[in-house]
Amino acid sequence: MPNYKPADLFMTGLGVTSSIGQGVENFTAALFEGRQNFAVMQRPGRQHDSSFIGAEISDLSCPERIPAKLWRSASFAGQVAMVTLQEAWEDAKLDLADPKRIGLVIGGSNVQQRNWIELYERYRDKVSFVPPSYGVSFLDSDLCGLCTEQFGIQGFAYTAGGASASGQVAVIQAIQAVRSGQVDICIAMGALQDLSYWECQALRSLGAMGTDRYVHDPAMACRPFDQGRDGFIYGENCGVIVIERAESAEARQATRYAKVSGWAMGMDANRNPNPSYEGETRVIRQALEHAGLSAGDIDYVNPHGTGSPAGDDVELRALRDCGLAHAHVNATKSLIGHGLSAAGTVELIATVLQMRASRLHPTRNLIDPIDPSFRWVQEKEICYGINHAISLSMGFGGMNTAICLQKI
Amino acid sequence: MNTNELFQIIVSHTREVLPELQDHPIQPEDRLADLGANSVDRAEIIMMTMDTLSLRIPSVELFGVNNIGELAEVLYAKLQTS
Repeated sequence: MPNYKPADLFMTGLGVTSSIGQGVENFTAALFEGRQNFAVMQRPGRQHDSSFIGAEISDLSCPERIPAKLWRSASFAGQVAMVTLQEAWEDAKLDLADPKRIGLVIGGSNVQQRNWIELYERYRDKVSFVPPSYGVSFLDSDLCGLCTEQFGIQGFAYTAGGASASGQVAVIQAIQAVRSGQVDICIAMGALQDLSYWECQALRSLGAMGTDRYVHDPAMACRPFDQGRDGFIYGENCGVIVIERAESAEARQATRYAKVSGWAMGMDANRNPNPSYEGETRVIRQALEHAGLSAGDIDYVNPHGTGSPAGDDVELRALRDCGLAHAHVNATKSLIGHGLSAAGTVELIATVLQMRASRLHPTRNLIDPIDPSFRWVQEKEICYGINHAISLSMGFGGMNTAICLQKI
Repeated sequence: MNTNELFQIIVSHTREVLPELQDHPIQPEDRLADLGANSVDRAEIIMMTMDTLSLRIPSVELFGVNNIGELAEVLYAKLQTS
């Protein structure tokens, strides 16, 4: 086992809730089986004379520890946040840690839109009866309130909005909080982005979200990096990662899943949704340099890979020009859809699970890759050892992030 | 509707907001705060009750109410004049 420096940071607790499985164990099995749950979405508030395709969570079970009162008053995004944090909390044995030295960063903004559409429709004609609790719950930071109350977190908590890079932004903020000594342990969450039909409609009109082309066979719709892709397909998911130093983890005998070896965030100075080759290459190179790695050291890339026509093209060009064409690549979104605010965290979890299993999950619907020269994992999982991996996230408004992980 | 029926509406909304009271007997003398309702819960229970009754009154008019029984009486009186 390599020697680590005292300043090195590790992932020590994981929690995940997705359309293909609740909990790390179920999620891991589903990843390697290449399971999917895409359909015309059914959750109330998702359709309006429409047939948007997405991957929804079928059964969310509430852990006994969460009181019925808190559960009832939480939005769906809030419920999923508590459930997912519960798993990571127990995994990292955080009941044994000093709650004043634990921080929480929740990645995402405007994550509860579907709840509000339902509320607006119910109270449109009787506004004077709008529930007073909406005065608290409309703020995304209510998720911080719910989670800190439920778990007794007393260090700090805030939300960090970074569009579809929010999940990685939260992890980077958590890293900075531990590095600076603000807290000993920091929890990063990529919150479930609960889209309503309003956002689905606008994202489709923008050309970002997929069309009705695959409505008669929804399992075919989500196809990152495939010639037949026509936009991202939404997925409900949420991920939680606990970040801390080795010494702090050892005090509780918490498992270290991977070392966080490098990270970078950079802006394109562009308000729009279009991707930037320069922005992406810059964060890839910065993250590698930060990790003290050359591109040739990377065994596996977990890409942003949404299935958007422009985004996938630019990402592959950036990966190639950064010298990463030799690494294996798959696309987690092909199985679970695009979790938007959650994506960056959930995909880092997918990366670490593959690293620990020395297996790479299949990419669904990657029949005809737009660039066949990459080492794609296509219809079948493969066994492959990963020592170093890089995961990318990009968000509207010119946001680019990259994080490198190293096997323990 | 009489005050007892109105009291039962308040009880049912109280149990909705505070599910742990499902099997707990609730008396007119009980105070919502003593039953575990914080200020948001109390505002929520009162608003749900007014919504059920389609009774639009400013919450300031409920000032001085001491327990659930009195709340039922005040709302009942408002309902008669609305």
